[in-house]
Amino acid sequence: MTSPRSKKFRTAAGTAVVLAALLSTAACGGGTESKDDKAGAGFNAATKGVINKSDAKGGTLKFIGTQDADSWDPQRGYYGFMWDFARYYTRQLVSYTPEPGSKSTSLTPDLATGLAEVSDDGKTYKYTLRDGITWEDGSPVTSQDIKYGIERAWAQDVISGGPVYLMNVLDPKGEYKGPYKDKSKDKLGLKAIETPDEKTIVFKLPEPNGDFEQMLAMPAASPVKQDKDTKSKYGLKPFSNGPYKFDSYTPNKSMVLVRNPEWKKDSDPIRAALPDRITVTFTTNADDMDNRLLKGDYDLDINATGLGQAARAKALQDEDYKANLDNPQTGFIRYAVFPQTVKPLDNIECRKAIIYAADPKSLQNARGGPQAGGDIAANMLPPAIKGADPKYDPYNLLDGKPDVAKAKEALKACGKPDGFSTTIAVRNNKPIEIATAESMQNALGKVGIKAQIDQFDGAQTASVIGSPKVVKDKGYGIIIMGWGADFPTGQGFSQPLVDGRFILESGNNNFSELDDKEINGLFDKALKETDPEAAGAIYGEMNKKVSEAAVYLPFTHEKNIIWRSSRLTNVYTADSYNGRYDYASLGVK
Amino acid sequence: MLAYLIRRLTAVIVMLLVVTLVTFGIFFVFPKMTGADPALYFVGKQSDPAAIEGIRQKMGLDDPVLVQFGKFVVGLVAGREYVNGSDITSCAAPCFGYSFKTEQAVWPVLLDRMPVTFALAAGACLLWLLIGLSTGVVSALKRGTVIDRIAMSTALAGVSLPIYFTGLISLAVFVYALDWINGEYVPFAENPAEWFGGLLLPWITLAFLYAAMYARLTRATMLEVLGEDYIRTARAKGLGERTVIGKHAMRSTMTPILTVLGLDLGALVGGAVLTETTFNLPGMGTAAIKAIGDRDLPIIIGVTLVAALAIVVANLVVDMLYAVIDPRVRLS
Amino acid sequence: MTAPLHDTGAAETAAVDVAADVPAAQIRGRSPWSIAWLRLKRDKVALSGGIAVVLLILVAVFAPLIVSAFGHPPNEFHEDRIDPLFGTPIGSFGGMSGDFLFGVEPVNGRDVFSRVVYGARISLLVAFLSAMVAVVMGSVFGVVAGYFGGWVDAAISRIMDLLLAFPQLLFIIALVSVVPNSLWGFTGSGVRMGVLVVVIGFFGWPYIGRIVRGQTLSLREREYVEAARSLGAGRFYILFRELLPNLVAPITVYTTLMIPTNILTEAALSFLGVGVKPPTPSWGQMLSKAVQTYEADPMFMVFPGVAIFITVLAFNLFGDGVRDALDPKASR
Repeated sequence: MTSPRSKKFRTAAGTAVVLAALLSTAACGGGTESKDDKAGAGFNAATKGVINKSDAKGGTLKFIGTQDADSWDPQRGYYGFMWDFARYYTRQLVSYTPEPGSKSTSLTPDLATGLAEVSDDGKTYKYTLRDGITWEDGSPVTSQDIKYGIERAWAQDVISGGPVYLMNVLDPKGEYKGPYKDKSKDKLGLKAIETPDEKTIVFKLPEPNGDFEQMLAMPAASPVKQDKDTKSKYGLKPFSNGPYKFDSYTPNKSMVLVRNPEWKKDSDPIRAALPDRITVTFTTNADDMDNRLLKGDYDLDINATGLGQAARAKALQDEDYKANLDNPQTGFIRYAVFPQTVKPLDNIECRKAIIYAADPKSLQNARGGPQAGGDIAANMLPPAIKGADPKYDPYNLLDGKPDVAKAKEALKACGKPDGFSTTIAVRNNKPIEIATAESMQNALGKVGIKAQIDQFDGAQTASVIGSPKVVKDKGYGIIIMGWGADFPTGQGFSQPLVDGRFILESGNNNFSELDDKEINGLFDKALKETDPEAAGAIYGEMNKKVSEAAVYLPFTHEKNIIWRSSRLTNVYTADSYNGRYDYASLGVK
Repeated sequence: MLAYLIRRLTAVIVMLLVVTLVTFGIFFVFPKMTGADPALYFVGKQSDPAAIEGIRQKMGLDDPVLVQFGKFVVGLVAGREYVNGSDITSCAAPCFGYSFKTEQAVWPVLLDRMPVTFALAAGACLLWLLIGLSTGVVSALKRGTVIDRIAMSTALAGVSLPIYFTGLISLAVFVYALDWINGEYVPFAENPAEWFGGLLLPWITLAFLYAAMYARLTRATMLEVLGEDYIRTARAKGLGERTVIGKHAMRSTMTPILTVLGLDLGALVGGAVLTETTFNLPGMGTAAIKAIGDRDLPIIIGVTLVAALAIVVANLVVDMLYAVIDPRVRLS
Repeated sequence: MTAPLHDTGAAETAAVDVAADVPAAQIRGRSPWSIAWLRLKRDKVALSGGIAVVLLILVAVFAPLIVSAFGHPPNEFHEDRIDPLFGTPIGSFGGMSGDFLFGVEPVNGRDVFSRVVYGARISLLVAFLSAMVAVVMGSVFGVVAGYFGGWVDAAISRIMDLLLAFPQLLFIIALVSVVPNSLWGFTGSGVRMGVLVVVIGFFGWPYIGRIVRGQTLSLREREYVEAARSLGAGRFYILFRELLPNLVAPITVYTTLMIPTNILTEAALSFLGVGVKPPTPSWGQMLSKAVQTYEADPMFMVFPGVAIFITVLAFNLFGDGVRDALDPKASR
């Protein structure tokens, strides 16, 4: 039986320890941890080149994360980290080059022997497959397997969620109904893809598209072996053709990959395949995750959404920790967008008033400051995309200050000299976005624009702000969002956001409902270009037109502060995967 | 006795059916009233109409709610199949539903997570009963002394602290700063010592809160009991103080404590949400929170049902324990 | 407090003392309430709790005045007080200074003092109103069930059992998160607060309902009720004029004890992200923000945490005192 007195004493002692510990962690960044030989390679080193270069095999690579993938099914997954991770167990005809930084965005043949032979004015793409490419049961990967895998994306009724670029490009009229409703015997009824033999695959596009090969680098273009297709349950255990295969997977809990002995190193120019085992742990407490990363319990955050504020402050202020941090560009732009269907935002002057009244510096702070949040963005094209000009700044956002005089002028021109009321829509599951909404609310209030914040269910984005009708009904004059390219070109980044033909009834991303003939025409022109530089120039022109329409207020070119453990070898960040580490190259000491 | 059990069990089943029906109503009827389509919850970034239709097919969302409910109940007993064209998903009995978000049947998910929650609840319960009861009894016997005062103010402080507050601070101190234990959950079968280490802090934090409540309750009840005539009689008979307190007073004191214990234990099964999220325990609470965030209705319904079952069963057990402890109570 | 075991309490002795030299007519004038008040006045701990409660209510009511005197508007940004690189306040102890008594919030530099003061409004309002909802529903249903008995009693009792069988926190989270932002023409944080009040209150009423029902069952057989009945008083007259006044004491006790629980529930909901909406400040919401930064800026966690702690503690102390004062049997 505990004597109450000693209990009380211990409580008091405990409280003292608590306070002391809290204060000491705050004051000196928890300098008590021993970090013997754990010295990192230096702040931001992995964004500049490969660190800890090594080809030593073995060990267990330990991922941790707060968010599980939407699906590990190659045709269903859409989260950026899933695309990065998927290279462990699935290959495509072409994939991104395993090189640091911007070099990663160029394409390298993967299952194919070389990049496409393009003919017929950019309408025919032909590939020949390598020798020695195998499934985890030892059977060879055939061109039919690739065709079948791609066809699965058409079966949206069964396996929804993945990107539909290939569907739109290869079958714009939607004639094919997907392999599960395919009447042909081999279930390979899609006319746009031909497989004359097991080693050859030919794509026939109805219209040319300069970015088609980029789309083939997505996991959605992965092969799937027909007799191993478990349809909607394929994501629980995809049949591997890469260096690792699924050993176990419990959604939202954990995942283990082990070596696929059938994979042959000499058939694969991309994947290093160094660790023997890869584990992923999914957790619920982000702060706890950061602390465990810093402690060395895990190697890296699979989501790579960046350290939380507390861990960031702790790690940046400690030289030893700091050497294990990287600060890559993610290729995302964080922004506010003004739906033109909501009054008075139909008036360009009222939109300009918001842009001038907002405080770019405060918005940057809300996003996490210059390091963790990113540089202030002046227009809507990320620097890594061809045609971008980060200096093009028609609204003087780079000054970092609100321009109250100009805002009031614009309000007068709009016929609302005393301001107006509107609603800011923000996802309820993104604390940082809520912080930016609060910052906008505060700044707009200073010129008389009264904005109330409406947090909508982040799980329902597609049906709330993705529905122009809901946006109009709810009077969402300002929507706060972020966007990253699915593939690094002007088409991949901007078209869903600003092309009027991409306005959808549900799942819309062109929130402003911008439908400008000139802008739409520029996209058509750029798509026909085979030269990326020439296409880039056209996208640059398109982007200026978007700025002139004053429907977007860009906040930041997003950056993250991400952690790499000292155990990791072959570490570098890849622009192709939004500044994440190239997972397929990683090894452990 | 048998008749009593049968009657109570029937009541339990009826209760569970009603709980299911209400849960169903909240998630399938309510969103419709406010204009939301449950099918949209399950569709990804680009919500293709075919995808929405497919989900609707699989989940049978076009059926009237009562039909959906009926199918659910049948599935519980006999298992069921979700059919969408050639894509057939079978869910073996007891089919608590199927999560199309993670492509898993709900029951195995619950089975996987139950041991964690049960271990958390049972361990914490043991601790808080030990600490709470002993503190309460001592406080009652030493009423008005310094010991009583200190014990009761500590208990009051314990009740007044939010659990995530104490939880986070204990993590910050014992795991991150002092590094005494790893504090990460590991299944018992994998490593019993680490399992214990992973649950230690959650047990203590949770027990701290509940021990405080039980100490207060024990003290109050004990004081009331000590004023009863039969205690006076027992004392007058010349029985030793130990016998009077331990045998006579304790029995009556246990009755209200058992009632509360039944409710608390049951509630913990579905409601250790805060403790589980703070300490990253892969139990039913975290599964439920995740499911609520993702709008993964089948999992929410599954956890609700299991939790309701736990509450009802705990109450049943408590009622039967009454008869054991207090000879005046008869089951009828 | 240091009274012998079977003393009925200091207050009763006081009443006897007074009776000795006051004419009998005046003793009858002393209602149970004034006796309770006498008892409460002697209980210094409860009294200090009561004073703290009153102070808190005053703080909540006069929040705008207090803030205009000692702080900055609660939603005003002071980003010049934030280190932009880390988002943490400049200066030690979370940026505490004469200008910002409790320091500033990380990232945006809002005045923590003002937000804690305004947060008192939300926390107390939600707690009070939801307690009211629970008390009104619980009393009405409890009295009706206890008085009418039969199938009415059976129905109400079953409903109460059913509600108690729901995993509450989970259900509240789920319910709050399916309710849309705008309801019947209302939008903004008012809707969310209303929903919180209704939902927390709704799940709280069976606890009061059970107690009231039990009390009513025993009261309805009392002589004075018999007397009223034989005089031809109507059911509702008896219910509301004879029974209810005698139930006020237990109801008051449970209300004062329910409020702290509700404060914690509101805080927990805000912590889990389904509480009141920003920029409206609430303690739970501040805590949940502080959790993201507590290692870099512990002070931001300390203030709302301590505010919750003090408030809950004060209500508990006061509630305990009220119970002791109204119910001499459960003496201290």
